[in-house]
Amino acid sequence: MKRLSGGLIDRSQHLSFTFNGKRYQGHPGDTLASALLANGVQLVGRSFKYHRPRGIVAAGSEEPNALVTLREGARAEPNTRATMAELYDGLVARSQNHVGSLNFDLLAVNDLLSPFFAAGFYYKTFMWPRAFWEKLYEPAIRRAAGLGELSELPDPDAYDRGYLHADLLVIGAGPAGLAAALAAGRAGARVILADEDFRLGGRLLAESDLLDGAPATEWIEAVKAELESLPNVRILTRTVIFGVYDHGIYGAVERVSDHLPTPGGAVRQTLWRIVAKRAVLAAGATERHIPFADNDRPGIMLAGAMRAYANRWATGPGTSAPVAIFTNNDDGHRTALDLMARGVPVAAVIDARRGVERQGDYRLLPEAEVVGTQGRLGLHSIRVRTSRGNDTLQVGALGVAGGWNPNVHLASHHRGRPVWDGEKLAFVPGQGGPSGLFPAGACAGKGSTAEALADGLRVAQEALADLGFAAQAVPLPHAESRQDNTAPIWHVPGKRRAWVDFQNDVTVKDIALAHKENMRPVEHLKRWTTLGMATDQGKTANVTALAVMAELTGKTIPQTGTTIFRPPYTGVSLGVLGGGDTGAHFRPRRLTPTHHWAKANGATFVEVGPWMRAQYFVRPGETHWRQSVDREVLAVRAGVGLCDVTTLGKVDVQGADATVFLDRLYANAMASLKVGMVRYGLMLREDGTAYDDGTCARLAEDHYVVTTTTANAGPVYRNMEFARQCLWPELDVQLISTTDAWAQIAVAGPKSRELLTRLVDGFDLSNEAFPFMACAPLTICGGLRARLFRISFSGELAYELAVPARYGHALMARLMEAGADFGATPYGTEALGVLRIEKGHAAGAELNGQTTGQMIGLGKMVSSKKDAIGNIMSRREGLAADKRLLVGLQPVNPADTVVPGSHLFTQGAPRDLAHDQGWITSAAYSPHVGSSIGLAFLEDGANRMGEVITAANPLQGSEVAVRVVPSHFVDPEGGRLRA
Amino acid sequence: MPDLSPLCALGAATPRRVTHGALTLTETPDCGLASLALRRDTPPPALDLPGPGRWQTADGLTLIWTGPGQWLVELPGAAETDVATTLAGKVPGASITEQTDGWVLYEITSSAGAAPIERFLERAANIDLTRFAPGSATRSPIEHLGTYVLRRAEDRLGIWGMRSAAESLWHALDGIAARLVSRG
Repeated sequence: MKRLSGGLIDRSQHLSFTFNGKRYQGHPGDTLASALLANGVQLVGRSFKYHRPRGIVAAGSEEPNALVTLREGARAEPNTRATMAELYDGLVARSQNHVGSLNFDLLAVNDLLSPFFAAGFYYKTFMWPRAFWEKLYEPAIRRAAGLGELSELPDPDAYDRGYLHADLLVIGAGPAGLAAALAAGRAGARVILADEDFRLGGRLLAESDLLDGAPATEWIEAVKAELESLPNVRILTRTVIFGVYDHGIYGAVERVSDHLPTPGGAVRQTLWRIVAKRAVLAAGATERHIPFADNDRPGIMLAGAMRAYANRWATGPGTSAPVAIFTNNDDGHRTALDLMARGVPVAAVIDARRGVERQGDYRLLPEAEVVGTQGRLGLHSIRVRTSRGNDTLQVGALGVAGGWNPNVHLASHHRGRPVWDGEKLAFVPGQGGPSGLFPAGACAGKGSTAEALADGLRVAQEALADLGFAAQAVPLPHAESRQDNTAPIWHVPGKRRAWVDFQNDVTVKDIALAHKENMRPVEHLKRWTTLGMATDQGKTANVTALAVMAELTGKTIPQTGTTIFRPPYTGVSLGVLGGGDTGAHFRPRRLTPTHHWAKANGATFVEVGPWMRAQYFVRPGETHWRQSVDREVLAVRAGVGLCDVTTLGKVDVQGADATVFLDRLYANAMASLKVGMVRYGLMLREDGTAYDDGTCARLAEDHYVVTTTTANAGPVYRNMEFARQCLWPELDVQLISTTDAWAQIAVAGPKSRELLTRLVDGFDLSNEAFPFMACAPLTICGGLRARLFRISFSGELAYELAVPARYGHALMARLMEAGADFGATPYGTEALGVLRIEKGHAAGAELNGQTTGQMIGLGKMVSSKKDAIGNIMSRREGLAADKRLLVGLQPVNPADTVVPGSHLFTQGAPRDLAHDQGWITSAAYSPHVGSSIGLAFLEDGANRMGEVITAANPLQGSEVAVRVVPSHFVDPEGGRLRA
Repeated sequence: MPDLSPLCALGAATPRRVTHGALTLTETPDCGLASLALRRDTPPPALDLPGPGRWQTADGLTLIWTGPGQWLVELPGAAETDVATTLAGKVPGASITEQTDGWVLYEITSSAGAAPIERFLERAANIDLTRFAPGSATRSPIEHLGTYVLRRAEDRLGIWGMRSAAESLWHALDGIAARLVSRG
């Protein structure tokens, strides 16, 4: 097809692209949609439900129909609006949602079956048998009714994010936005001007009207040049502001590389969070159509879009046949005039209003309506009902002009309710929207160019006045100031289907059915029919649907309701929201100081919160993890084992009142702790439940180091800060985390003292000089500052040795080397778990938020001689009367496995909640005992030693007979610790 | 000197350094760090202490405000020493804790003035650049990780992050710098 004259395309360059495998040519400045129309392609896809042939409807982000899959392979992106896809050389696009070719879609049979597929049909139809829903009905429906398909390949592109700060964000670069940005820029405010288009100008680009007697592009270019010269103005094209969030934060996606064949090394898109003190919403307006019978054929478009294609992209509506316009306002006539000026033949303007007059040399059918169309894959003819009877017009395209809906979306975030303007027949932004957001121009119902320019300026001045900027009036060009005179004609009644929402295949009949089914409130209407959902969010449908429902209910449109718009304004890729990092860097992770050593020594790692910890170390010949873990456990019990325990939280506590502070935090007494000693400590929540345990080491009179569990390092520190700052601000106490600062290695086992003796610089490790629960600063390995704690999680003679983190790796290597003759063995979290279960120490599985001190056998630790957080509440009746106790369990048959999570029952008792006696919290295979063992909370556990009970695991249908034993499987007297 | 060899936070014996266009990122393991918190009812130290959002140098130290009566103190070149004892000599009676190996320091320098630094920063952190002139310091998350960001000069940043997450923070910062080059 021959392109029209003019337009904003670069005819000196040709871009080659393919659609459904066929090669076409376009120019820089084209979108995929404009290039397809210029090549005479009207049919671009199939509809969602009925698989009806569909074409391009709009020229912007409101496009409901022309959804294509862009690019190939891993970069294939389904549901891309052809109207927003900037053409580049080598672009590959294909249509979607059809079986067989686009022209002969086998699923078009759905259209014949449409009487069965009315709104809500599957809610009623696919109810029985129940099991069929997931296995049969849903997959079948999803296959038949869908849009594009994902490649299911990993996204190969990179994304990034950033933060921008501005005094004024201007959303939209049409006449209102440009006037606002110019005034604000000249006033010295920091301005960000964002537009989803790749070119500034907004609707000005689509119109033929002159500004000050010259093409609008001249004014746009002059404003653009000035804005670019101002250091305080930043222009973001290809950037959609998709949502308004709290405190003046606007979400924006910049399509950095979507207009290129591949991003190269650059990111594909950037997610910007724009912090703006004020914003001007100059988002323009979207034209609405008028539903009539069979109004969805390719070639039937919005009249304003048709005009945009002619004026901006120098293309007709994909046909050389004559074009007709169906309108209820003057704007439709404007399209006819512009088309004719570009040489497009106009068959007629069909105006639904009475008493209208021709505005040019074309055939006018006043008081007339389109009542039918023909053309299987593209429009061939329309039937028109006039006051003088019906007529058929042979046309290749039809422009429909139903009036303009202001783009109130962003003003509706934060639950701002649009209000109905009965004169303009449109919803305009109301009160209660995001504070600091000022609508201007067409999105505020001021849609002529002259109005928009003036309003943009006025609103910018108003917005900036609050901030102390005196924005002077900028000279505005003289522009058209037409009014559309839209008549309240919302659809053409008839028996055949008339589409309201093209994307979701919702017709006037569906709305009537919703009315009949009493789905009348607008939110019900939406969900019942799926109107307004999917990628276009009903931009061309919602208001029309409300009008149809209003007509059916006999109410006014505002009485019928408004829809609430939520972010995002247009579809936003999950890739850009996620930030692009996948795999190991999907989220930040923390590595222990011995991570690289462990990796080099066969460690398998396990995620523990953000930490990567060594789970076990596989030695040559070990084929099952249990072999490694059993070996590690036995090595600790027999010789010496080494475990990186850096991940345990460490909080440095100093100050004159440090002792008082800690005494109030811990349930047990801390005030009596001597310098150079460590005490086990239990912390309770305010409600008396145990929440963390650890140790407290007193390094000096006014200096302590508190350790926490790995999981609670953050929460304990946070709660300590809360106590310090809010509960007891009068105390002189200072806190800081030192978790990362020190590499801490547990040296555990009967040979641990001998091993450490080889590293310390003349420090006396004898039992007398450094007894169980002692601590001291010291130096090791020729002068390295270190801290030594004689504490044990394993039940063995054990120490924890801390050095500056940078030395953790070397210390581990040195301990292994120095302890080679003792069989020094690194052990991971699995062995750590086995050792502590054998010793009966509570850990995260026991401290699950339901546990009291007495349940873990530490009831006496909760001091009654002092007050501490949770102590009084721990003595309330409900908690104090709890008789469940942590006990050990051993299977009667040593070959049986104790399964954690199993519930406990008296033998022979029914397996129900009423007879539940407790549950197994932790279990492991104990190489020391020679069988599986477990820890459990058991009702009246203290008095049931020796009893055989049943551990039931109904999820797997298993039951094991277990004997109740004390929770200490190893060294119940604690002699080894003190050796 | 101890007969053990330290490792840098990124796991190598020598610090990592990379250049992307005008920006150079350098792991800086030799700077000591300590926290300083004034105790109640003790006279303020003789040091000139910066207020909220600021850092400043005094007596060979760089002090970074971190909260009411609290600072982080950089002791350049002193990472291998007992910085708490050193600082206690200068600020007697305060609560001081060694922090050197709690953190990793990345210095980011520009060979082309302020612009690359500012483009980098707007992608890294939610910081208003007009209020972040040299002398500014703030606590800000970067890629979900808590950091202290210092504007050391128009063309230079210092970023302190959690040592255990050094690799993740480097990945984030390195990625931002690399993508800036690709974007042009």
